[in-house]
Amino acid sequence: MKIIKTMAFGVGLVLSAQISQAADSGFTLETVNPEADRVALQNYFKKRFPDAELNDYVNGIYAVDSNSREQWEEIEEFPPYEFAVEEGEALFNTTFANGKGYADCFENGGIGIRQNFPYWSKEEGTVKTLEMEINECREANGEKVLKWSKGDIAKVSAYMAWTSRDQVIDIKLPEDDAGAMAAYLDGKKFFYAKRGQLNLSCANCHVQGANIRIRADLPSPQLGHTSHFPVFRSKWGELGTLHRRYSGCHKDSRSHPLKPQTETFRNLEYFQSYMNNGLAINGPGARK
Amino acid sequence: MKKALILAAALTLVPTFVAAESFENAYLQARAMYGQGAVFEWNGKQYAAVHEEEVEADIAATAENAQMMVDKAKAKNKEVAELGFEWKLTRGIIKDAESALTAGEYRKALDLAAQAKYHARMGIKQYHYAQSSWQLSVPQ
Repeated sequence: MKIIKTMAFGVGLVLSAQISQAADSGFTLETVNPEADRVALQNYFKKRFPDAELNDYVNGIYAVDSNSREQWEEIEEFPPYEFAVEEGEALFNTTFANGKGYADCFENGGIGIRQNFPYWSKEEGTVKTLEMEINECREANGEKVLKWSKGDIAKVSAYMAWTSRDQVIDIKLPEDDAGAMAAYLDGKKFFYAKRGQLNLSCANCHVQGANIRIRADLPSPQLGHTSHFPVFRSKWGELGTLHRRYSGCHKDSRSHPLKPQTETFRNLEYFQSYMNNGLAINGPGARK
Repeated sequence: MKKALILAAALTLVPTFVAAESFENAYLQARAMYGQGAVFEWNGKQYAAVHEEEVEADIAATAENAQMMVDKAKAKNKEVAELGFEWKLTRGIIKDAESALTAGEYRKALDLAAQAKYHARMGIKQYHYAQSSWQLSVPQ
């Protein structure tokens, strides 16, 4: 009898653990809880890297690896993105053929607003990114749209990020809008689902694999990921947008990469940016 | 008490051991360790570790057969692309298969198309696995 009781207790413990895990999950539209996700992610990294400051996660791997940080700090003495920011400012202030400019398309003349992107547009039923609105601004004013990944769009975006430095990321997720929640969930699911010939999820490298070598590279923690984009990567030798990096990462898992600004990538950006709420914008950044 | 705990632990682990002895695991292990065509034993019977696409491609190397295999690979890859789980190299392998077909290298075309179809089939399998398992690595 005693054995049966002990077994029943043991099995009960196993089952209750599974049930409580299911209750916390937030894996469906009915149960998804972005704030719980954000807190859980922060707690995860606090446990993994107890010496790292929460606010420092905007610096990626440099928040948790001191050797990489030393090199990066030297790079930041003469930031490689400086010229691109200046060019971005010039582009931003160049009037379109119709006499209008980027400042006419954005709130506050486009200055200090990076922290509010991406956002959910109820009217359009989709996630809107900063780069998307830069191109929409051009189109609405009779200008040619820019290519998504690099070049002028990254420069304009970099200037706008520069004017938003130290602004606190504030991504809104209207709880009464199922569309917004579905977009968030889609982004979350993309981040955690294994894909590609290497059977890797974003999380495999940037959650469980953060600061663990993949050959010569140390993957950054996912917390803080979007804060410093666009980014000047030494590998690229130039500035690139967040979605350029997404495509690269997607390809690295040996997946056929999605195109920048596709709905899936915008939803991924929405999810990742929400995770960074409370952290500060520090774009553009410099990375390896 | 100690015995009861051991029994409870064993009960918890039983499904793991059962899964480890599944046909699929035995097949994958043989394939990974000894390569294509490796013979392995499962539940008292012998099997060869051959992908279904390799069986499909094991036909006469003719233009018609090679074309048929290329078409199958393309169809399967379209299916996985629609699910958003297409692998990076598959389109290139299909192109190489088509080039081999054009060059009259039918055996090569058959083998490449089989490889591409296998990639696509694995991508579909990965998609279905992801639907039920993506939650596992979300910090709670």
